Amino acid sequence: MIGTGEMVVLLALPFAACVVFIGVHAYLGIHVLRRQIIFADLALAQLSALGATVAFALGHPPTSLAGFAYTFGFTALGAVLLAMSRSLARRVGQEAFIGILYVVATALTVIVVDRLPQGAEHVKAMLVGSILTVEAADLEKFAVLYGALGGFLWLARRPIVALSETGAPAGGRAMVWDFLFYLSFGLAVTSSVAAAGVLLVFCFLIIPAVIGSLFAGRIAPQLAIGWVVGAVASALGLLGAFELDLPTGAALVVAFALALVFAGLVKYLAWGDAAERRAHRRRAARAVAGCAAALLLASSLWLMAAPEADQPLLDALEAVTGIGPMPFLSDGERTAFVDAVRDEQRYRAEVERLNRLEQASRYQGPALGADEVRRLASYMQSFNEMQRGERFVQATLRARARLRARWYVGVPLAILVLAAGALLLGVPGILLPRARTRLYSSG
Amino acid sequence: MRRAAALAGALWLVAAWPAAAELRVLASTTDLKSLVEAVGGGDVMVDSLVPAGADAEAFEPKLSDLARLRAATLIVRVGLGYDAWVDRLIRQAGDTRFFRGGAADVDASVGIPLLEVVGRGLEAQQSGHAHGAANPHYWLDPANADTITAMIAAGIGRVAPALAARVAANRLRFLTALAARTRDWQTRLAPYEGAAVIAYHSSWPYFARRFRLNIVGVIEPKPGIAPSPAHLARLVAAARDVRPRAVLHEPFEPVETARLVATRTGAPLVVLAPSVGSVSGTGDYIALLEHNVAALARALASAE
Ligand SMILES: [Zn+2]
Repeated sequence: MIGTGEMVVLLALPFAACVVFIGVHAYLGIHVLRRQIIFADLALAQLSALGATVAFALGHPPTSLAGFAYTFGFTALGAVLLAMSRSLARRVGQEAFIGILYVVATALTVIVVDRLPQGAEHVKAMLVGSILTVEAADLEKFAVLYGALGGFLWLARRPIVALSETGAPAGGRAMVWDFLFYLSFGLAVTSSVAAAGVLLVFCFLIIPAVIGSLFAGRIAPQLAIGWVVGAVASALGLLGAFELDLPTGAALVVAFALALVFAGLVKYLAWGDAAERRAHRRRAARAVAGCAAALLLASSLWLMAAPEADQPLLDALEAVTGIGPMPFLSDGERTAFVDAVRDEQRYRAEVERLNRLEQASRYQGPALGADEVRRLASYMQSFNEMQRGERFVQATLRARARLRARWYVGVPLAILVLAAGALLLGVPGILLPRARTRLYSSG
Repeated sequence: MRRAAALAGALWLVAAWPAAAELRVLASTTDLKSLVEAVGGGDVMVDSLVPAGADAEAFEPKLSDLARLRAATLIVRVGLGYDAWVDRLIRQAGDTRFFRGGAADVDASVGIPLLEVVGRGLEAQQSGHAHGAANPHYWLDPANADTITAMIAAGIGRVAPALAARVAANRLRFLTALAARTRDWQTRLAPYEGAAVIAYHSSWPYFARRFRLNIVGVIEPKPGIAPSPAHLARLVAAARDVRPRAVLHEPFEPVETARLVATRTGAPLVVLAPSVGSVSGTGDYIALLEHNVAALARALASAE
């Protein structure tokens, strides 16, 4: 129905924006990790959001010069505070200051927003963003800004890297470099938060950097890995949002999280020397088997304890196989169940037909009178009620089937799991003994 | 003794004066507030819980709203799950006068010919449909003002029988004026009968029915849920066949998505007011409809 061309046109700009953001954010993220100030970006983003909100409250649109000035002013204030906190925080740790900054900025935003009629929408936009609707003109601005930032960070790499590695700055000059680092950091998140939202920017910043540091120790290879992984995760997230019909920002966050899980697995199972890999794989297999056994055992016990409650595993199995509750129903009940499913669909189709009829009558043919519309509405209401009735029949039959499955499925499953567990634990050489020796030798 | 009498007199004045001068009505939205003003005239003092320009469907009552509720004699609400937070507020106030079906409660949706009926309460909400039992934006059809004002007049009659006759006269005057304006609005939009439009939120079925428009798509797949790229692509692909002539946008909706759809379909973006006061120049119910009709006529004429 929708061509690939349509998809490419729609996703090209958001993808380009993601790549531009990741270009600078992955590098900043590496420094953030080294300085152990993971939440500094949230604090700075929140301060810039506060600036944007104050500007908005004073009647300046976010894209105007005044709007940018307010946003930048608050961000610069945050950069000063963060640079100062580093030398102040020798005893308590900088994260405490960052947390306080974040909380205060958020509270102030809430207070300002409360005075605005459209405040709730504004806050939601700041959190979720709308990377899907990035326009070509925005992208040009981002390219220029992040190009400039990237250039500055490249030129200033020596002092900034030195600061990230050595800890607190010693003198005034170091303090200035620290301030400049936080300022460029603030500038970066100010623009990206406005376009992509706080959640996604946090992903851009942290996840590529974490993955890079899993596989490399020096900054250059970390950055290369982060860029590649970030671009791939962005592409997959956007494609996933398109194919699976998901909100874009959330799909991107999930894609980044999956990339992290995947990278973690690769690192654990396929990295390092052969003996270590083998040991890791064995341990992972044991963990997976253990979890599966625990899940099955819990499901069987839950089925026996409360057959009519939600049974997630059984529900999923019935849905995937398409069998439904059929094995545990009598012939008559089976017919009733099939009828209920069919009738529910029929009534739903009927409601949709009436809805289409009403929609067409808005502009085609003679206008319907109030009583005719009322009659249509009452038909739709009845068909909705009948759908509910059919759903109720299905639920009742399902519950009856579960009551029967209680012992027939629950008991054998529990015995099977326990037997398999006993076998694995009892028979030497399959899983445990080696692990035990390894555990002791490594400890 | 004299002092006591004077004090009693003063107390009587303080207690009786506001009650005698006016009836306090609390409306959930500015639209209902404007309609209460139209039928109540100078005899009622109306306040709306949702401030002008805010989104009623995303509204959170404040502590001060509880005080306003306690001071009110009559409450008027949209119903259909649109202002479900009123129920919470009333429960919190614990005032039995305002309970559903009570003398001081007016649900303006009773008797309205409803569109987009989806079933009853809870289940409809569970399916992610913030619109409850049916589409609640019924005040955007001026013909429904007849039913709404009838409910309001009946409510005022229940709590203040002395005002009933004056309220009935006010209502008749208002409905006569509104009918004349409605004919004028219909004439102005008549050239665009059947024009295809896309809306961001499904606020406009009642408006579309009265003014004979064809809503071919809604940008939000469900009320309050951001569209996925696939949904947008479907919308734009479908728009190629029907050629929409306007994209309807409300001030508090995220403008980026509406603008994207507008550029991709070539239809102009029109800012319409979903409620009284959400755009400047929509100070009362008639001004609200006037603004929407004028803005739409302008956009449809330019898209010709
Ligand atoms: Zn709505």
